[in-house]
Amino acid sequence: MFPILRTELTKLHRSLALLLILAAPTLVGLFLLLNGLRDGQQRPWEVWLGASSGIWAFFMLPMSVTALTALLAQTEHAPRAWDQLRALPIARWRIYAAKALVVLVVVAAMTALCLMLTLAAGALAGLIRPENAPTGPLGLATVAESLGRIYLASVLMIAIQFFLALRFASFVPGLVLGIAGTFFAVVATGAEEGVFLPWQMPVNILASEPWRAQTALGLGLGLGLLALLAAIAVLSHRDVP
Amino acid sequence: MSEFAIETRGLSRRFGRQLAVDALDLHVSRRAVYGFLGPNGAGKSTTIRMLLGLLRPSDGQALIQGLDVGRDRIGAARQVGALLEAHGFYGNLTGRENLDLARTLRGLDRHELDRVLDLTDLRSSADKRVSDYSLGMRQRLGLARALMGSPSVLILDEPTNGLDPDGIADMRRFLAELPDRTGATVFVSSHLLHEVEQIATHVGILHLGRLTVQGRLSDLLAGQPQDIELATSDDAQARTLALAAGYDVADDLRLRLAPHDDARRVAAEVNRALIEAGLDVHRLAPRPRTLEALYRQARLNLPEAA
Repeated sequence: MFPILRTELTKLHRSLALLLILAAPTLVGLFLLLNGLRDGQQRPWEVWLGASSGIWAFFMLPMSVTALTALLAQTEHAPRAWDQLRALPIARWRIYAAKALVVLVVVAAMTALCLMLTLAAGALAGLIRPENAPTGPLGLATVAESLGRIYLASVLMIAIQFFLALRFASFVPGLVLGIAGTFFAVVATGAEEGVFLPWQMPVNILASEPWRAQTALGLGLGLGLLALLAAIAVLSHRDVP
Repeated sequence: MSEFAIETRGLSRRFGRQLAVDALDLHVSRRAVYGFLGPNGAGKSTTIRMLLGLLRPSDGQALIQGLDVGRDRIGAARQVGALLEAHGFYGNLTGRENLDLARTLRGLDRHELDRVLDLTDLRSSADKRVSDYSLGMRQRLGLARALMGSPSVLILDEPTNGLDPDGIADMRRFLAELPDRTGATVFVSSHLLHEVEQIATHVGILHLGRLTVQGRLSDLLAGQPQDIELATSDDAQARTLALAAGYDVADDLRLRLAPHDDARRVAAEVNRALIEAGLDVHRLAPRPRTLEALYRQARLNLPEAA
């Protein structure tokens, strides 16, 4: 499995997907920095990190997953590389499993990068304008745990976007569903049913009602892993005309 | 072990109501250079996709070195190097990086990279991004990838696509020598009859999903009826004489011979008869037996070679 994983990571070199991996968390960090410097108000680290987690879970993570899966899939669809890959003497499920694993690892890395860039933005704000430096304890372990749960709750959304991106040669179905899912997740934030929407599961981790967070985590991770396995099985067994 | 490197038995593929490949029985001998010919839409690509296990047959089976592709796709795929019409290269990576992906996935030694780059004369441009490659360079890179691990069967779909005349000549020479150099069997799908004729030891012609002709090229051409091109000082009288002698005469005064006719003997007879009739013979030439004539004859929807 390691050689396939290595080749999947090699394909990211000089790719648009790599740009996205760096750009999405950077945008969150940049926003927080500009927001922190906007007025003379000094905010505690808790607010900085809470805003970062919220933006990430609410909007940037679903949109990034949509774009990332589309870009990774297009590296195979665009040059019609599936034929070469699927003709190799390798079990096909390994090819798709490696791709799924890369998406999971990359999204985890983006989530971690988002946290690191938030810390960097807070520190930079303090350097530029000391009166805007974040205050109070960092509470890093709590935030890291929260981001970890957000990530785990996003697995169902990742599985769905992953399947659509690889199943269709056009990026349109995945993109449309990703945008629609994110849109409904945003407009239906307060709705109880929203917790069952895969694109809203990550942000529900931050909900004040414990049942919402537990439901989002249970469904997002549990169904997500099942959906990923199903996606790998379906993709491996279908003919690519 | 099977005597054939590639064999299909009643291989068929249906897309909806359309039968794209119809009960195909391919027999590709070991160390042959097999030209797989047919017009667009004849089913060549569908057949190749089934040989590579990319498409499941509706019926029948495909065997590579005796291994059933349907039952042991991975075992069969280990025997094969393929150059497909869609190269599937990653434009953001260099030629060397692209080859290294294939090398890694096949579990081959790192030296394979330089070996195939040298074979295809690509070493100097190996570190350029593939997005900067010409079509011909991509074609050679595709061949380099197909040659990795010295497979015993090479399946090449239109290998001369995008090559300049020198590149085509190099490719022709390379493929023709390959069976003797490496013991590999080469299966080439092409529409360039002249190119295939120069390298193929065997051919199969596909038409509307059916194999209409298959066999050793020299045998097939030997069995082809010949024509004799004729031009005289009085073509009308020559036609009358030829018809009276029992020959099949075309509108342009070609004499269409039967497969068993000896063209040289007929030419001598005709020449003698024309001279005895007082005609000047300007041209009397047995028409060479070509793959194109065979191909045209095999394609039922086309008239016989003009």
